Amino acid sequence: MMTCVRLCGRSTCAVLLVAALLVLTAAPAGALTVVDMLGREVKLAGPPRRIVSLVPSATELIYALGGEDRLVGRTDFCDYPPAAKDKPSVGGMVSPSLETIATLKPDLVIATTSGNRLETFTRLEQLGIAVYAVHAQRIAEMLDVTRRLAELTGRQAALGPLISGLESRLFAVANAVRPYPRPRVLYVLWPEPLLVPASRALLTELIGLAGGDSITANERGDYPRFSIEAAVARAPEVILLASHSGSGAPPIAKDKWERLVSLPAVKNKRVHAIDGNLAHRYGPRVVDGVETLARAIHPEAFR
Amino acid sequence: MTRRLVGALATLAAILLAVAVVAVFLGSARLSPLTVLRTLGGGAGADSTENIVILGLRLPRIAAAVLAGGALAVAGVGFQALTRNPLAEPSVLGVSAGASFGVVVGQLVGSSGALFDTVRVAAFGFGGALVAGAAVYLIASVHGTFPIQTLLLAGVIVGIFFGAAVTVLISLVDIDRLGGVVHWLLGNIAPLPARSLLVFAALAAAGFAAIVSQARELNVLALGEEAARQLGIDAERVKVQVFVAAALLTASVVAFAGPIGFVGLIVPHMLRLLLGPDNRLLVPTAMVGGGAFLLVADTIARNAVAPAELSVGIITSFFGAPFFVYLLRTRRGVL
Repeated sequence: MMTCVRLCGRSTCAVLLVAALLVLTAAPAGALTVVDMLGREVKLAGPPRRIVSLVPSATELIYALGGEDRLVGRTDFCDYPPAAKDKPSVGGMVSPSLETIATLKPDLVIATTSGNRLETFTRLEQLGIAVYAVHAQRIAEMLDVTRRLAELTGRQAALGPLISGLESRLFAVANAVRPYPRPRVLYVLWPEPLLVPASRALLTELIGLAGGDSITANERGDYPRFSIEAAVARAPEVILLASHSGSGAPPIAKDKWERLVSLPAVKNKRVHAIDGNLAHRYGPRVVDGVETLARAIHPEAFR
Repeated sequence: MTRRLVGALATLAAILLAVAVVAVFLGSARLSPLTVLRTLGGGAGADSTENIVILGLRLPRIAAAVLAGGALAVAGVGFQALTRNPLAEPSVLGVSAGASFGVVVGQLVGSSGALFDTVRVAAFGFGGALVAGAAVYLIASVHGTFPIQTLLLAGVIVGIFFGAAVTVLISLVDIDRLGGVVHWLLGNIAPLPARSLLVFAALAAAGFAAIVSQARELNVLALGEEAARQLGIDAERVKVQVFVAAALLTASVVAFAGPIGFVGLIVPHMLRLLLGPDNRLLVPTAMVGGGAFLLVADTIARNAVAPAELSVGIITSFFGAPFFVYLLRTRRGVL
């Protein structure tokens, strides 16, 4: 029962109590009910032993927690750590193969609302496979996901060291950049059409932690299309161009930005490429992402 | 004829100019009309923000919108004359979808020098457009004619096929890049660099020249291939030339701006209402009128939700889809 209590969020005490009563009175021995990040009850026959992750960041977190022996499947995009590629893949995030998932006989599938489809949730549940939803748009939520995954994989012992390690690194970055003025930063997620991180994006928080002020931080949504001339008018002092792994060439288009000679960032040669994989996924590597962003935004702080 | 053409062209050019003037003053960077005028007159420093915004971003984007709109409208006139069907249009016929597939393949097979890239991507798009167009032609042709239902169905089928092929390619792409590709597929006008604009203009001019030079032959063809043959016109050669040129126009727009629907439907139809069915009038006026139309749509896309942006393809579809239904319902007897 402790498992259940710790897995549940503060706001779901009532649900939790009911769930606890149900488990105590009716369920077979070892069965438990957990509440996922959408507030849905997920019934499990016991602590999950065979987990399929449809979320690359969750896959990374499970490895960081050392719970990978319980991971039996992943998606094509779960490419980190490299060892994850040794696990069988169930296909992409949008349309994973339900057959492949079923043949892996998972007792739990980790899914997300941003990237997976609702249809996948319902189909899996129709097949009698428990689905646990995670989502994170803030570092605090990422740490919450980490806690939940530690419980689900029985790796509570690894949780404390992992989180305190991540937190102390974030603290170190905050200390390093604090003495310096915060430059206006334009982060280019995609150059054509221009996509930028807005108020709901994890990246906006990361840029702030790295000591920059994102010029698109107050736009609505997560990654909206944005007008280039509005970006130019806001005179960014640092421009960060995300590179993307995967098939094909990364569309960084550095020359396109360097033509905008009126920008302080261009005059001062502050147009940098950034490895997007570090900062776009809310896995443990977001802290690497914050460090990379901080080095790009404040090179003077890391000499 | 010449006098009507000159009159129509002058009117449309005046409209285009007026729209362009409005477009150059509107944008998410808040610049006063006076600043805009001074910048246009060369009064702003070469490195100033005003200069970059007006001369580096707004004017190239206006040029790209005009080129894309003109090319799409001329391609529309070409396809309509070929199939003798007023509903034929690059996106309705699935030719845009074929070009999109080609362009996505072209983008995925690697990249190096910027100019070479543009040409290579356009070439892949051209290949895709030709394959899709040929497929529609073969599916829909019944003894050299194109019954409306068959043609529309063939276009839908080919469009779905290439749309699916694009989806397959996208599913191989990392989730982080997905947003970029998906937005590109909605169609959007970019402030192209000068070299790309030149390539775009050259492709559009080639396609335009190839179709406008056959305008008289297309008029005769409208009377039937037998009539054309009696007048000494090589119908097959005319059809191939116009088909290849229209595919080239479509592919160049898809390569530089993404698939934008319905421009090739709305503009030729409006011009036909005003000027009649003469292709010698329609082809040149479609170039100018299409440019003005897409420039209006792109100015809306740029400013409606500023500083965020909409895809211009969404705007044209918003106007175009109801217009398509209107044509289908009211012109049934004629079709």
